[in-house]
Parts: sequence; C-alpha cells; structure tokens
Amino acid sequence: MAQLPDVSALRADFAQALETARTVADVKAVRDRFLSRKQGVITGLLKSVASAAPDERRALGAAINTLKQEIEDALAAREAALADAALPAGAVDVTLPGRVPALGRRHPLTQVRERIEDIFLGMGYEIVEGPELEDDWHNFEALNMPAEHPARDMQDTLYLADRLPADARGRHASLLRTHTSGMQIRYMETHEPPVRIIAPGRVYRRDNFDATHTPMFTQVEGLVVDEGISLGDLKGTLHGFAERFFDARVKTRLRPSFFPYTEPSAELDVECQGCGGAGCALCKHTGWIEVLGCGMVHPAVFEAVGYDSEKYTGFAFGVGIERLALRLYGIDDIRMFYENDLRFLEQLVP
Amino acid sequence: MRLPIDWLRDFVDAPADASLVAARLGACGFGVESVERDVVDFEITANRPDCMSVVGLAREAATAFGLELKSKARPAAALPSGHTPIKVSVGDAGCGRYALAVVDVTVGPSPDWLASRLVAAGVRPINNIVDVTNYVMLEIGHPMHAFDAARLAGGEIRVRRARASETLTTLDGESRTLDETMIVIADRDRAVAIAGVMGGASSEVSATTTRVALESAWFLPSSVRATSRRLGLKTEASMRFERGTDLAAPPVAIARAIALLAEIGAGTIVGGVTDVCPKTPQTRRLTLRRARLASVLGDTVPDTDVVRILRGLAFVVAETSDGWQVDVPSFRVDVSREIDLIEEVGRHWGFDRIPTTFPELRGMPRPSSPGVARARSLRRLLCGAGLQDATTFTFIEAAAAAPFAAEGDTVVIKNPLSEKFAVLRPSIVPGLVESLLYNRNRQAADVRLFEVGSVFSRARGERACVGWVLSGSRGAHWSQPASDVTFADTKGIAELIASAFRAPLDVTVADDTPWLVRGQGAALVIGGERAGWIGRLATLSAGEDAVFAGEIDLDVLSRAAAAAPTAIAALPRYPSVVRDLSIVVDERLPAADVRGTIRTSAPDTLVSVREFDRYQGKGVPDGQVSLSIRLTFRHPGRTLTDADVHEAIDGIVHALETRHQAVLRGR
Repeated sequence: MAQLPDVSALRADFAQALETARTVADVKAVRDRFLSRKQGVITGLLKSVASAAPDERRALGAAINTLKQEIEDALAAREAALADAALPAGAVDVTLPGRVPALGRRHPLTQVRERIEDIFLGMGYEIVEGPELEDDWHNFEALNMPAEHPARDMQDTLYLADRLPADARGRHASLLRTHTSGMQIRYMETHEPPVRIIAPGRVYRRDNFDATHTPMFTQVEGLVVDEGISLGDLKGTLHGFAERFFDARVKTRLRPSFFPYTEPSAELDVECQGCGGAGCALCKHTGWIEVLGCGMVHPAVFEAVGYDSEKYTGFAFGVGIERLALRLYGIDDIRMFYENDLRFLEQLVP
Repeated sequence: MRLPIDWLRDFVDAPADASLVAARLGACGFGVESVERDVVDFEITANRPDCMSVVGLAREAATAFGLELKSKARPAAALPSGHTPIKVSVGDAGCGRYALAVVDVTVGPSPDWLASRLVAAGVRPINNIVDVTNYVMLEIGHPMHAFDAARLAGGEIRVRRARASETLTTLDGESRTLDETMIVIADRDRAVAIAGVMGGASSEVSATTTRVALESAWFLPSSVRATSRRLGLKTEASMRFERGTDLAAPPVAIARAIALLAEIGAGTIVGGVTDVCPKTPQTRRLTLRRARLASVLGDTVPDTDVVRILRGLAFVVAETSDGWQVDVPSFRVDVSREIDLIEEVGRHWGFDRIPTTFPELRGMPRPSSPGVARARSLRRLLCGAGLQDATTFTFIEAAAAAPFAAEGDTVVIKNPLSEKFAVLRPSIVPGLVESLLYNRNRQAADVRLFEVGSVFSRARGERACVGWVLSGSRGAHWSQPASDVTFADTKGIAELIASAFRAPLDVTVADDTPWLVRGQGAALVIGGERAGWIGRLATLSAGEDAVFAGEIDLDVLSRAAAAAPTAIAALPRYPSVVRDLSIVVDERLPAADVRGTIRTSAPDTLVSVREFDRYQGKGVPDGQVSLSIRLTFRHPGRTLTDADVHEAIDGIVHALETRHQAVLRGR
C-alpha cells in the first residue's frame, strides 16, 4: 500500500514557497509547482487518492481538496496584490520635475514704482512721463532756481557736451534732469488746474557709485494744484501713502526743510520699522527714517507757468524709489539694483 | 554748522543738554547731522545763511523754547570816529559795502577759552588776530578778513574787477589765475584777496605783523558764487557770501572784533572806521493776511502766536485789519514775500500740530500717459515669456556705445563721473550685455533679460525702446536634450510683442546693423516704419557663447498698434480645409518671398500660410532647400469643395513654379 501523503507538510511547503515569491513570475512558478495539470504536486496527490484504502479515500480526498482550495486562494490573493502594486500602463513618476514655463520677474525698482503708482492711482492721480534730457528752464529756472542760485549746488548736475536741437519754444536740452520736478512745470505749462499727477522716472546726479550713492536713480514726483489746497492736505496724503506703502499703521512726521520750489518745505519721516522708533543703526539712532521731500508749491513756480498764485495753492513731493526699495527688501547696498544678478532677481515675486 | 552749547548759552538760556537743543531746533527746520556732549552739528539749508552763526541759531532757539534772546545778541555798531590810516575805494557794484578798521596788534596765540570755542566749532586756531576774525564770523555769521597793513602797497585798498590772467597766491598756497568776472581786493599795485572767497598769501598776518587792516564787507551773492565755482574754491566765507549776508553787518562785525581784540589784549584801533556803503539798505515791508495763513497751513494759528513767533525771529510786526504788516530784518535775505512769512509761522507753530486733511477730488482724473500702460503691459508680457526685467545705467562707456551708433550721433556727457559713464546709450542692448556677462561670470549660463527705457541720439533725441538679450539653452528639462537659443527665439520675442500690440510686423534682411553677425541680423518694420532690429550680436569677444538680441522703438509700435482694428471679427461659420505643400527652391530665396507668391496667387479663401518644416540634406540637391507649408482655406459663406481647393492649389503651384522655379515634392 502506498504511503499516505502528509498534507500538513505540504501546506508548510507551499507557505514557504509563496513567502519567497516576490514577482508575478515567482508566483507563476509556485502555481505550476503545486497546481500544474501535468506535474503539479496537488494534481499528483489527487491521482493517488484512488490507491488509498477505501475507508481512507473519502477523508484523504477531502483534505487534499481543502488544501488545493487554500493554495488557489492564496495564489489568487498574491497575484491580485502584485497586480495592484504594478504600475498601470502609461503611469508616470509624478515626483520628477515638471516642465515649468520660464517666468521672468519684474525688477524690484519696477515693483516699487508700480506699487507707488497704484497707491496714487487709487487716490485719483494721473501718471505722466517726460524727458530725461532736460533744458535749464524746466530743471532749474522755472523751479525758482535762477543761474547762480546756491540751491543748484544741492544737485550736482551732469551736462551734455553739445546742446541738442531746440524744441518748439527754442529751448535746448542741455543736461540730464536732476529731479522729476521739471515735470511739474511741463505739466502745468500744458494743463489748467485742477492738477493731480505723479511723474515717475529716472534722474541723474554727478554722485559717486558706491553702496549708498548712485549717479542714476528713480524718483516719483507728485503735484496737486487746486483752490484751497493746504499743508494739512499734504500731511493727510503722504501719511495715507506711507501706511499703504508699508502696509502697516506707521507714524509719520513732517520736518521743516528747504527746497527752492516749495514754501513751506518739509521732509517726511517715517518711524523706523527696524526698531519701532526706539533707535537703531538703520535710523542712525533717531527712531525716524527720512522718506521724501515735499512742500507747498512756491508761488514763483505758479507764476513761471502762468497760474494765478493767489487763486491756486498746491503741494508737491518727490519720493526716491531706491531708498524705499532698500527699506522694503532689507538691502543695504544700492548697487544690487543695477547689477541684475539673477540670484537676487529670482528671489522676487513676479 | 557746529554749535557749541556753551556759546549758544551766551545769548539765550537754552537747556544745557545738547540733545534737547538738537531735538527742538531739528523740528524747526535745522537738520541734525550729529549730537555730541556739548556740540550739535546742524545742517543749515541754503536759504538760511543767517543761521550759519551762533546768534542766528540762538534767535531760533529763543523762539522755539519761548525764551528771551539776550541783549548782547543784538550789539549796536558803536564805531570810534576819526581818520582811518588806509584809504578805501570801491569801484565795483559787486561790493555793496566795505568797512575797514586799522588795528595795532601784538600777534600771539589766542586765550584758551577762545581757541577751544573755535575748536569746538570745527575751526583750527591760527593766531589771535585770525582767530578773532573767525570767532566773529561764527558768532554773528559775517565773514571778516585781516590784512598785514604793512604789506598793502600805497597804504590803500581798492575793490575792483580782476584783470584778465591776473594771478594771486591765496592763503592755501595755490597760485590762482583770475579773470574779469571776478572781484578782488587790491592795494595800489596788485590783488591781495579774492573778494568774499579767500585772502592772499602776501598780506597774510604773521608773527611779525604789528598792524592789521580788518575788513568786513558785503559782496553780491551771485558774484561770489560764480567766482568760487570758477576757481573750484569753497570757503567758510564764500559759503556765507554766496547765500547772502546782512548788508547791515559789516560795521557790527568790525565793532565786535575790535571789542574782542581789546578784551584779549591783542590790539587797539588806530583812528576811526571807514565804512563805504554804495548799496542802499532797504527795509522789506510785507503783508501777512490772516486768511491766507490759515488757508495755506490748513490750520488757524492764534494771533498771539503769530506775533510771538515773528517778533521772536526779529520781524517788526504791526497788526492791520486783516492781518499784519511785517518788516523783515536785514539778515533775513530769504524772506521776500508773504509765503515766506507763512513758512516762518508754520515751522515754529509746528507742522505736527496741523490737522490732517485730504484734498477734495472735484472732477474725473485725466487718463495717464499712454507710455505708462504700454510699459506695464510690455513688462508683464516679457516676464510671462520668461525674460527677466532688468535695470541698467543710461550712461555707458563710449566703446560699448560705438558699434550701435552712427559716427558722431552719440550724446556725450560733458562732465562724466568716469569713463564708464561717458555717453548716453544709443541702445539698451549694450547695458544688458554687460549684465548678461556679469551673470555668466557667476555661473549663470542661461540668461534672458529685457529692459524698457530711453535711448539717445543727437539726431533723433530721446526715444522709448524695449531691448532684450537671450543666451544659453532654452527650456532644459530631463525629458529631452537641451537645445541652445537661436535666431528664431529673438525673432519670436519680436513677433510676440507685435502680436500682443496687434501691430503688423515685417522682418527683412538688414545691411545697416554692423553690431550683428552678417547673415544673422534682420530689420524690424512695424506698420511700414523701421522699428528696430533682431539678430546675433557681433560685439562679444571671440569664444563667448552666442547672444541673440533685439530692440523695438515703442513709439513706432504704438503708432501701428493704434492703427490696428480693435473690433473682434465674427467667428467663422463654415469649416476650413487644410492642405500641406512641400517644394524645393533655391536656398537663398527668403521664405517670405514664397509666402508672398502664395498669397498673391491664391483666392481670397486662403486664410493662413505657415511653414512647418525646412529641410536640407539627403534627397534635396545642393544649394536648394525643401520647404513644407501648411495652407488653410475657408469660405465665409459656404463649405469649400475638394474642387475649390484643388483649383486654388493648382494656381499656387503654378505661380511658385514660374516665379521661383520651385519643384513640387511627393505630390
């Protein structure tokens, strides 16, 4: 009589074989070994049932069939698990870098300029532009700075070697504008009050190029002219501007100063954001940062452009964009704005 | 102006704490440069020469602190009468007053108190005589000069114009060449001082001097400034004279100097004081209206405060029905009209007390300059296209500008800071190239920059332009091999801009762009006008990687954009038919000519012509090129039939064959 198969040993064999099967091919090999129609271990066993003693046949057959069912279930489960783990057709590695369209960023000076422009657009200002090559009348004379006026020293001027051809009024551009204030004159010469403008643009001074000075920088000029404009209006406007610009409740103060084309003249200081007014190196221990120059338009300026200086009053201001940008971005070297170093520019928002 | 606090307290009982003085005067218009224990350094604005003095600042402090100015701050000029041993003649209107006293002196060091005050104020003590002149200048703000009387030839002083090429060695040891625009103080024979600027070395007070001529004069500000600038010589005296000194001050200064010399035992006046005053002193009388004051400041200052402030500052005030009549003291050269008085009241009343208001908007604002919106949309467009917004200097090196400008058309700066900033850029591109190379030197190979700004030409003036530079690889990604930027990329930028502004762009071969590599440059024509160029730069050093660049004149662009229709056309109702065509033509034949022939030979139903391949190599004869073109046909009123399209293609092919000897491939 043939030896009866040891079903539990077979079960253990199978468990071990399945345990080590890692791939679909491994699982197929296990399936073939146990269930193949021709050489499968279980298939062979089932055939041997016939040779078992008649009283054992039934129990043996049932035990083998149970094992066979277990093996089939286990294989199907493992095959399904492996199929789940496999990549579907067309699957991608989502962790590889995407194809990012190239994106440039607006230059920090552009961003600050547009930020200022937007604040004033919101207050009903018109943005105007004018020439960087200027004549003596618009840059100095009409702004109450006749020849040999000592205030001309406040702005060391770059002159052209040759005068350019004259404009319609016979004026020759002879210098690089030292401020955007000439735009006050250009605008008032061609428009009647009320006036509410800002004029952004590049200006030039014969200054050294170092961490805190540059021979070219950017200003935004502002001018408001109407009946009844007062110094209080100037205060309100600039305080509102400072709060919007710094996006915070800030303290501001107007400190009397001097510009030939405004009277009274003032500097606007903003409480130092670095130390909250307590005094630090940034604010030279004063608690305040000088932000811009401003004042009430001098009647002589109105007279130069043919405005009635009794009827109209107005205020003007000039903001240095670089100075505000240094503040905003926490930079201490102004040269960074002109190097266009991509490692700097790419840190900006677009 | 360095203000020693103890000196200030000679004239007003201000706080002894320097920081308190600094804070209060700082709020009145005197910027604080620095505060030391006993000295405050104030920045005196150009309109306030009277405050380049201890007494001037004492007057401000008295008003600011509500204190009385001590009487010795207003000394009377009690001058001894008698004959002055030196004769004075004033021969030029640039000298409005000339006072002179002759003093017998014992030259030596100054007493410590006087020397230390000078040091505190930042002036080096020299000897008691010179120190007294400097002390008086610092105290009352009026410059003085002392000559060694023995060195004045002929025993006389002549104030006159300098002669052409007249020379004078000044106190600093420099030999100065003068001209007829300048005023000098001369003796009988020659110039001994440059009026209001600096004395001469030959008549300098020395240890052996026994008699001095003390000068206190008034010179025309514009004359002193012009002379000082022409000579490049700025002094404590010239800075005060060019801003404007007090016409009444010369005898006062002389009196103060004589008293001081006597006090320190350094000298005694000989005879009287000569005082020549060709310029008539005039009291300026101004009107200050109460209503105007309130409307300019936006605040009502009580009458008592108006009067207190103005009187404190030495104005003579009389009340009128609607305000005040105000006489201006002679030292306030900056006050000439009502607005100046309003400023005086305002700054001492306190700007911070003025209520904050907002200007009323009484009408619709006007639209902004078109250039503003144009620059904004261009920047967004190009940033979106992956170019970085850059800011470069408007002035560049002459050598960098030269390739981009016609001979003699560059705008040159007369007084440049350095060779790096010598001329105004004729193009934005050279500046961008510098930034590109800067980045390359810092390991950034893929650089794409643009800038919107002005370019300059002598013939054409100032023009707004956009310029760009591209180099390195385009869109490097793990999924495909990297490819370098080519001509097509810079042309693509030009096409992008033209299309965004709806301006028709033509690109033609350029022969007037010497800064571009031959055969890789083109002219941009927008709306029929020359608008700029694109191409590969020829201006880089050998061995540098290729840089492709371009520039467009924004006014030309705007004109063409304005002429373009803005209305949106109705969408087509019938389907279009697409046919591809491959032809072989001479490689020198521009694709634009082929396109032109197709357009002119096709019926109106041809709506688009687009090249999609250009091939040279196997199967195409040498010197020839295969062009593949996609043609799209559409009829606005019906569906096109195959026959329609066949007929159109036949016509096009025939035209290409006869005009360009084109050979059709694989039809």
